[in-house]
Amino acid sequence: MINFIQFTLTRAILAIITLLIVSLIVFSLMELVPGTCAERYLAFKNTQGSNINVEDIKAEERRLGLDRPFPVRFGTWLKNIIVDRDFGDSCILRVSINELLKDRFYMSLAICITALLFSYLIAIPVGIISATTKYASLDNVLKFISYLGIALPNFLIALCIMLFMTIYYGDTMTGLFSEEFQRAPWSAARVRDFLSRVWLPIFVLGWNATAFALQTVRALILDENDKLYVMAARARGISGMKLLWRYPAKHSLGPVINSLGFDLNRIFSALPVVALILILTEAGALLIEALARSNDQQLAGAIIFLLTATIIFVNFVTDVLLAIMDPRIRKGVMGGN
Amino acid sequence: MEISSKKKEAYFTATQMQLVSTRFFSNRSARIAGSVLLFMIIVSVFSGFLSPYDPTIAGRDKEYENGSPQMPMFWDENGFSLRPFIHTKTKYRGADTNFRWVYKIDTEKRRYVQFFVKGWKYKYFAYSINLPGKNLDFRIPGFTFDRHLFGVDTGGIHLFGTDKAGKDLFGRTLSAIYISLAVGTLGVFISFVLSLIIGGIGGYYGGWIDGVCQMFTDAVRTIPPVPLFMCLSAFAPDTWSSELRFFFIASLLGFISWPTLARRVRTHLLTERSQEYILAAQLCGASSTHIIIRHLLPSFTSYIIVDLVISFPYMLLSETALSFIGLGLREPVNSLGVLLQNATKADVLLNYQWYFLPVLFLIILILSFVFVGDGLRDAADPHKNK
Repeated sequence: MINFIQFTLTRAILAIITLLIVSLIVFSLMELVPGTCAERYLAFKNTQGSNINVEDIKAEERRLGLDRPFPVRFGTWLKNIIVDRDFGDSCILRVSINELLKDRFYMSLAICITALLFSYLIAIPVGIISATTKYASLDNVLKFISYLGIALPNFLIALCIMLFMTIYYGDTMTGLFSEEFQRAPWSAARVRDFLSRVWLPIFVLGWNATAFALQTVRALILDENDKLYVMAARARGISGMKLLWRYPAKHSLGPVINSLGFDLNRIFSALPVVALILILTEAGALLIEALARSNDQQLAGAIIFLLTATIIFVNFVTDVLLAIMDPRIRKGVMGGN
Repeated sequence: MEISSKKKEAYFTATQMQLVSTRFFSNRSARIAGSVLLFMIIVSVFSGFLSPYDPTIAGRDKEYENGSPQMPMFWDENGFSLRPFIHTKTKYRGADTNFRWVYKIDTEKRRYVQFFVKGWKYKYFAYSINLPGKNLDFRIPGFTFDRHLFGVDTGGIHLFGTDKAGKDLFGRTLSAIYISLAVGTLGVFISFVLSLIIGGIGGYYGGWIDGVCQMFTDAVRTIPPVPLFMCLSAFAPDTWSSELRFFFIASLLGFISWPTLARRVRTHLLTERSQEYILAAQLCGASSTHIIIRHLLPSFTSYIIVDLVISFPYMLLSETALSFIGLGLREPVNSLGVLLQNATKADVLLNYQWYFLPVLFLIILILSFVFVGDGLRDAADPHKNK
């Protein structure tokens, strides 16, 4: 038990170190984007009609603390996030990023996690059926459908569904809310409206993830199914579902859990593009806005940091879960016996 | 009896490669996908010979912009011809078409397809690398050809139609497949080497070495790749040549996508290294390198193969997504992503559906890769003795 606590603590410390490395990477990337926050803001003001000279840029840089050395700026940025949960101000919009993100980030998170659950809900049973079925044609059809999920870029699916909806319903189904609920406070009606629209991004994001999950599950079950211990169990007279759940399925669970974090990562990665097409008003859309359009490095950095922190947390949880569930790894963790 | 014993003899004396290839070719879906893939690769390699027009802006057809596909035919109402021909289309605009440009088909004027015609020049093995600094520039002239499989003597023949600028979509699609495959190959190679080194070291040695490797892998892999790409490609200046941009994007794909494979390699090694046969090898005094190469690597070849072939379409899709947002490869370069970006406009969806032909090729390409990967996986599995 003490070993286990020690293992968990080590993993937690590792996760924190990973977070530090990632935040360093993210912060350096924010710096790599050509131009500083001050220049960008004043260039924006310039387009609005006010005259800007070099002195103004210098003054603005001083105000934002951009004249200080890199480690100091990084330290301040990180300290503000961790201690005060403050991501600073957006470069262009000049509003607090916390204010800008508000519940949008949680909304994105909810959409992505639901999409992940949706994909495994389909992938695990279908993967097992595909791996164990006697009918090669059923296996092939299932495989083909799942492969279509990989081959069709999810933004293409989104586009096709949108077009279909426009032609047959007269509503594009874009956005997360219909017009009257766009800025309304949360209420039962708004939640209902949200649910009536949110299935589309969940479906589009999940469709893609399902294909990957299905392949993993199928490959793992096939790998395990031919191993000697399964044959031994079969020889002892265990068969059918009982055999499947007690041996191959149980053993394939480890790698599946291990890959959860990355599946979430893949969904996060698809999120901005899908958000762009479906005109969602959550963090993914904000990210694409920040990166591709306005070059708002402060905002982009904040969103990437948040997404990455979520994945680090999920990875930590899956590592601990794996140590609890897989006796082979548990032994490695808790010493020889 | 005689035949079956011969067969048995062949089976027992077959090498591992022979067994794998026999198993692979006995799988029907893998066989079909494999031939489709091979066909695509050959077609893309010979894209210069196969496409009658230069896929770049130099080969644009000013008289036929946003033109629909022209399929060669053998007969029309005027009778049959052994040599395939197409009808002439002329630009027309007037009050009856609401002053929009439309193309009128003139069925009287036949234009016959000719074979092995001379046309635009294309090159093989020609490289000119333009690195910063004069001394690093080098240039290989390569071979220049100007023969093409087919063409017409006057006007143009556009099998897949043309785009907004009048560029031939058939030629663009073929060269886009080539470029996309090249980006993917380079990316997969880089990520393969990195993942084997980092995942292998971490998984085999365990302990604090594993901790460090794992930390590094985790740090890279936790950042969602598309946003990371977006940041990095924003860093690439616009002044870069399209070749440099191509290599930049390809290496980004490789440097960012290795962690998946590395993590799987590590997980597998962690569970595998406590097995008896590894202990036996260690007791025999085998070195770490020997154990890794002779015992551990073969134990997860099926994993590596599946993951490599699976990661290939993923590379293509990453490139597509990047180009779709406008941060990947850009216009003068043809890639499937660039062509896809053109296809996703409402105007195109309603009026110019032939823009979707390259998308069809992307889907077929990715599907065939996935099926080949699956077939290889089943074939390379040593536990499957059939």
